[in-house]
Amino acid sequence: MKIAEQECGAVRVLRPEGPLTGKDADELKGHVSRLLDGSMGRCVVDASAIQYADSRGLEVLVEANDEIVRTGHPLKLSGVNETLRQVLELTGLAPQFEFFADVNAAVRSFL
Amino acid sequence: MTHESAPAPSAWHRLRTVLRNDLHLTSIGFGFTAILLAAMATAAWWAGRMQDEAILKARADWRGTVGRSLARTAETMLADGRLTSVRRLVVETARDADLARCRIILPDGQTIADANPQQITLADLPATWDGAPPAPAPGEEGLLQSFPLVVGDRGQALLQVTGKPDPLGEVYWQTRAGIGAVCVVALVTLMLMHRRFRLTFRGIWAVRQALAAYHDGQRTPSALKVNPDWGVEAQAWNDLLDQTDQAQRQTALARTQETLRLHGRSSSDLSAACDALSQGLILVDANMQALYANSAAAVLLRTRNETIEGTDVGALIQEEHVVAAVREATERPLQRRQIFEVERHDDTSHVLLRFIVRPVRREDSAAVMIVVEDITQQRAAENARNAFVAQATHELRTPLTNIRLYAEMGLDEGQGDPATQANCLSIINQEAGRLDRIVGAILSVAEIEAGSLRLNLDDVRLADLFASLQVDYAAQAREKQIALEFHLPPKLPVIHGDREKVALAIHNLLGNALKYTPDGGSVTVTVDCDEDRFTVAVADTGIGIAEEDCQRVFEKFYRSPDTRVSKIEGSGLGLAIAREVVRLHGGDITVESEPDKGSTFTLTLPVTEGVPVA
Repeated sequence: MKIAEQECGAVRVLRPEGPLTGKDADELKGHVSRLLDGSMGRCVVDASAIQYADSRGLEVLVEANDEIVRTGHPLKLSGVNETLRQVLELTGLAPQFEFFADVNAAVRSFL
Repeated sequence: MTHESAPAPSAWHRLRTVLRNDLHLTSIGFGFTAILLAAMATAAWWAGRMQDEAILKARADWRGTVGRSLARTAETMLADGRLTSVRRLVVETARDADLARCRIILPDGQTIADANPQQITLADLPATWDGAPPAPAPGEEGLLQSFPLVVGDRGQALLQVTGKPDPLGEVYWQTRAGIGAVCVVALVTLMLMHRRFRLTFRGIWAVRQALAAYHDGQRTPSALKVNPDWGVEAQAWNDLLDQTDQAQRQTALARTQETLRLHGRSSSDLSAACDALSQGLILVDANMQALYANSAAAVLLRTRNETIEGTDVGALIQEEHVVAAVREATERPLQRRQIFEVERHDDTSHVLLRFIVRPVRREDSAAVMIVVEDITQQRAAENARNAFVAQATHELRTPLTNIRLYAEMGLDEGQGDPATQANCLSIINQEAGRLDRIVGAILSVAEIEAGSLRLNLDDVRLADLFASLQVDYAAQAREKQIALEFHLPPKLPVIHGDREKVALAIHNLLGNALKYTPDGGSVTVTVDCDEDRFTVAVADTGIGIAEEDCQRVFEKFYRSPDTRVSKIEGSGLGLAIAREVVRLHGGDITVESEPDKGSTFTLTLPVTEGVPVA
């Protein structure tokens, strides 16, 4: 899985590309954990290029949220497609996250 | 503090206490009954004694009468010498009068007549004898009565009559023994009844006393309890007290648990609410020790939440001036809040923290609340906004300055010189167009920033789009002697998107390629498409982009510090807008570049499912 990392001001944006499954999900988890050390929670996951996620992918999102929520910010997801959104809604995980239409809106939420 | 001894209870109080004790009252009652019984026994004994004495006196009188009668008769008969008759008379009198002994003795002690003939010591009556009969020996009174006899001329004799031991004495002692026995039995019975009574009712009386104590305000179960060995009533009373006490304890426990639960829930809710804040909260006591800190505080101060409480503020906050302000706030609780902005750097991050120190009013002691905010992003946004304004001003000022200069030139030098006027108007027209593009780009950026940039979705026929591009840029390429080539597939798809914005994005890429490629270079546009994606790669042989600038070229108003770039006109907004537009379509733009060799920008857009390939 390719995970692009970008800075928007002081906010780090992760843009994983591809399905969030198996080892790819663990790779994202490693990125989020590493980002949290330096960004103090100012982190956005641009999910616009994630087509779908399996159970491990959902688990990684929840674990990342548990880690990041200590900063008072829930995990911010931008550009979540309908498939992933429905999976999160059906599993009851959606209320844990903050959803934004695009990265800019997610970055602005830190202001 | 001195302890004063309790005043001694008064006699009335003691009496009242005793009288209120039923057991004491019962004992007193039984005591009076025993005394009454003893008095009655004494009276009976006294009455019996009086009666016995009267009987004894009557018997003594009777013996006296018999003795005196016998004495007179015996004097006469002895004077006549009728000793035998006298002896018979004595025997008969003793028998009739139920005497124990009856005898006539001479002064020398010889018995001449006796109720018991064998006791006679002198068979015949002497003719005369001398002497006086002996006086009764001391202690012979009582049953023994003596009567002196004057027997004619013969001499004096003495008749002794001895009554039988008083048969009433036996009755007397039997009566007293009976009274005594009755008294003893009555007393023993009374005592047994008393004992039984006490044993039976002491439990009830103890309960009654406990109820009286309860009435007087005593509420302690241990003080109200009675001896459980005092019968079933006492046990039942104790059980009742235990049950009441247990019920009260359970009620109190339930209330306490409810209070604790509410308090705990309230505390838990408050803690959860504080943990949900993105601002760090630290409550500091008068000793400069942290009383509470939420999760965000731990993250922002780079420590662990569980170790903050009890830690000195100086160990949590390195900045001395902030710690000094906290100390001052603890010492002067009425002062206003103070705000500090602190920059922290380390190997991985640069953080700007804002500390707000404000005293907290507490009843017991001084306390200070420290609010920690991460304002790194706010500061970055402010800087970006300032840079945006500065850059936008600069970009707007350049064409405006040209317009003003050429307008002045046209007015001053163009008078009567149509060629100069035409040149000035042409330049003004170009600069006005440039100004229009800059304003349009700024508006697009503003829409993107505001989140109000919307796509007008429609079918985008890529074949038509690229045909137009080839026409639009052919002249510009020819002017710079750049070889512009398009490698298009035989069939281009129709994608679902905003036609103008997709065109804008591709125009930006192609325009930049031509702009930053020196004369004589080449620009190649390669289009690939499959079922899912449509890719446009714009490769040039231009000045290239340094590796560190590859991502920054997509930032708004960013221009590379390369002097070759600064010489070329540009606002620094095109790529930012292009990538934003493409991302809104679900695609992306990436760049690969090598300085002095050229760059390749790759635009990828998804082909909407269901749209047929044209």
